[in-house]
Amino acid sequence: MKGPLIQRVRFGVGLAVGSALAIGLAFALLAAERRQALQARDERIAVVRVRALTEAVGGLAVPSENGLQPLLIAWKARLPGSPPARVVATQGIRLEASTFPQDVGDKAAPRRLEREEKPLFDQAARLHAAVETNRSEGAPRVEEIEVTKTPSGGLGLASPVERDGAVVGMVQVETPASVRRIRPNAAVALLCFAAPVALFLLFSRVVGERRWILGLLAAVLLAGALAFYARHSQRVLETDRRELETAVAEETRAQTAALPSVLSAVSVSAPIHPETWDSDLFRRPRSLVRADGRLDEERLRREIDSRAAEARKAIAGVGALAMALLAFVGFGGAARLGVTLRKNREAYAYITPAMLGMIVLVFFPFLYGIAISFTDQTIYTTSKPLSEIWVGLTNYAQILGDFHIARRAADGALVFNYLNFYWTFLFTVVWTVCNVTIGVSVGLVLALILNTPGLALRPLYRVLLILPWAVPNYITALIWRGMFHQQFGVINQMIQIFGGQPISWFQKPFTSFITALATNGWLSFPFMMVISLGALQSIPEEIYEAARVEGATRWQQFRAITLPSLKPALIPAIIISVVWTFNMFNIIYLVTAGEPAGSTEILITQAYKFAFQKYRYGYAAAYSVVIFLILLIYGTIQNRATKATEAI
Amino acid sequence: MAGSKREEHLPHWLLHAVLIVMTLVTVYPILWVLTIAFSGKQSLALVDLPATPTTADRLRAVVPWPGHPNMANFVSVMKDQPFARWLVNSAIVALATTALGVFLACTAGYAFSRFRFPGRRAGLMSFLVSQMFPGVLTLIPLYIIVVKWLGLGSTRTGLVLVYATTSIPFCVWMLKGYFDTIPKDLEEAALIDGASAPTIFLRIVLPLAKPAIAVTALFSFMWGWNEFILAATLIDKEDMYTAPVGLGFFVGGFSQQWGYFAAGAIIVSIPVVALFFYLQRYLISGLTAGSVKG
Repeated sequence: MKGPLIQRVRFGVGLAVGSALAIGLAFALLAAERRQALQARDERIAVVRVRALTEAVGGLAVPSENGLQPLLIAWKARLPGSPPARVVATQGIRLEASTFPQDVGDKAAPRRLEREEKPLFDQAARLHAAVETNRSEGAPRVEEIEVTKTPSGGLGLASPVERDGAVVGMVQVETPASVRRIRPNAAVALLCFAAPVALFLLFSRVVGERRWILGLLAAVLLAGALAFYARHSQRVLETDRRELETAVAEETRAQTAALPSVLSAVSVSAPIHPETWDSDLFRRPRSLVRADGRLDEERLRREIDSRAAEARKAIAGVGALAMALLAFVGFGGAARLGVTLRKNREAYAYITPAMLGMIVLVFFPFLYGIAISFTDQTIYTTSKPLSEIWVGLTNYAQILGDFHIARRAADGALVFNYLNFYWTFLFTVVWTVCNVTIGVSVGLVLALILNTPGLALRPLYRVLLILPWAVPNYITALIWRGMFHQQFGVINQMIQIFGGQPISWFQKPFTSFITALATNGWLSFPFMMVISLGALQSIPEEIYEAARVEGATRWQQFRAITLPSLKPALIPAIIISVVWTFNMFNIIYLVTAGEPAGSTEILITQAYKFAFQKYRYGYAAAYSVVIFLILLIYGTIQNRATKATEAI
Repeated sequence: MAGSKREEHLPHWLLHAVLIVMTLVTVYPILWVLTIAFSGKQSLALVDLPATPTTADRLRAVVPWPGHPNMANFVSVMKDQPFARWLVNSAIVALATTALGVFLACTAGYAFSRFRFPGRRAGLMSFLVSQMFPGVLTLIPLYIIVVKWLGLGSTRTGLVLVYATTSIPFCVWMLKGYFDTIPKDLEEAALIDGASAPTIFLRIVLPLAKPAIAVTALFSFMWGWNEFILAATLIDKEDMYTAPVGLGFFVGGFSQQWGYFAAGAIIVSIPVVALFFYLQRYLISGLTAGSVKG
């Protein structure tokens, strides 16, 4: 196997694959970054335009007698490259002014919006709502400038017009499609890929078959090439960025120069604030362009540097990946893997489709979820990279380190903190144990009865008794909740028939628990019944006959024959139903909804509430990981005890 | 069969009594769904009780019987509400999930049962462990992958992919257990006769595993037909809703259209219940075959 060339060839191939991966990924990253920069450029210039025009429109305290139409016409005339624009007023549902080509003749502004122009009014209303929302929450959450792609590939922008602090309408512009297209230089990438390979071929002759030195040589070459390419990318990106900011500044200066004369067309002169025009979609100024229209060099430098730091992180990740690949191929891992794959190719062929799906849609989301659990991601920070909101084990410490389960109230009564993890955990365990006990005992008793030889109507009973399993559980859960309704529910009616008082089921933890238990018990016994019935029917009648001949009582037969034969079927069923019940989301969520005050929440519904009602994604993820670990520990112990998976 | 005289068989009437009580408890909530659906009303309470109800009034209130049975709820849920469209969505999603899920599970289950290869035990255990992943944990990442990366938000394809893959572990374990019980001799004999590996799989193993495949199919279908939370997360266009999401829409939030809900619930339940009973005979053998051997 180990020919004289094998080490050199391996490392050579490893280096080629590794550097192809590294440079290829880096090239793709650069291309994506430049494409984004190009889009950002169109968008930012359009934002400057729409913001400048909005300021001009908003500056008119009272529209002049001709309305706003002259202003828009003047704006278009003074700035030849200007896109068509519209001004929509919310009050009166009016199109105040428009330079859109379709708004001419009998459609010329100013006029009332027509029925088919409702989207325009809706957009203005949305912007109004967005501004109000952000203002009342004190945080930018909803975008205040809407950017849409037009069918022709251009950008449609809409920005709210404010007067005296209230949104009164919007300005809309539509820029044409951008035709510019940039691609990164492929020759540099090719060189960065080919050079280390060529150098390796050269040097490896000198080094010979010493694998550690060969490995070191390949690693150094790879790192060098990647570093060179990273510097190249950084320079390209910096040039792009400067060009972009310069273009934005130029547009700002052009608007600044033209606006006074545009305003004078409607005989108004108002102060303008060019430094606020270059803003993000929440109308927060980027502060890169100063009031005089020049670039703020210092800020720009800082921005570029911070972007470069991010890019370096990405490149480091790519490098690590490539190094791992290089080592894997170089030290023979790939060769061994190849042999294994070839030897078992039939088995792997059968498994691949399922495994691929599992990896993409089950295992990867799981790992991603674990990564989220180490951050304090909330609904506001979903677009930030995880490394920026990394908090380490803080979430876990908060969940597991909080022991304030109960405190003494002023009158000495014990008050539980239902949001505490340990309360919920305790509740979940009680919930699981009760449910599985009910499911198994009711299921087993019914199976034993149904297995009585010669009992009439057996098939009918069986069909009716399996029904709860067959009907979708979210339907029956909602019906059970209705049956426990304090006023209209039939259960309280029944209690009253027997002279009792109606119970407000969902106002005390215990009664609330009973409702969920009743529902889930009802849902889960058919499964156990079917499993037990199957196992019972597989016991040969001769064994019982033999036992009877020996004089065994019925109880003895049950203990010595029935139970042991049930065990192999029942134990896996119990294990799986423990896991199911522990995570029985639908019943708790739909029947008790955690009432009262979250006391009947189980772990999984609590995690759901943290994620989708409090929007604390990071915390909820950590909570879920804890649930997973609990189940994993349970599964491992159970597995050890029953040796259920030993035979695989 | 009836045994010797010493045997203290419980009397049959007692067994019947237990069974009748249990059956009543079992069907009572389902009868309520039927009652509300056929009542033609939208409210949960069907009898307007007088201020001081007598026992007879209350008795009338707990008997699941619609005052004047009519089909009004069914007609308007199908005609006035987009429920028919949601049903079609659900049917397509569930059928495609079944086809894809059963295919993936059969091939993987067969490999796990018949071949010995590196990673086999790890693969089986990872499938088992994946059953313990809390759904909440994967919900947000799944949303990101399906909606943002794959661009499959509000599509049936996205739902089918997610449902089919999430049903794999359970199905693989069940099928693997069943394949284990099929004697290898048959395949070896076919191999000697010159049959190729795919032929053996398709012609010999799969037909023998029919009961387990039926259960797997039923499970996949029910999963795709009944699933609620993933669908509610991945789909935000009303005309792409599946039936469960649509049903939740009737009684979620501030709407309390119990009549529509009940009528829709019955329509949704019929195929599942029918399938369930049709495949019942396979159900017991399929579920227990893998485990009984111990």
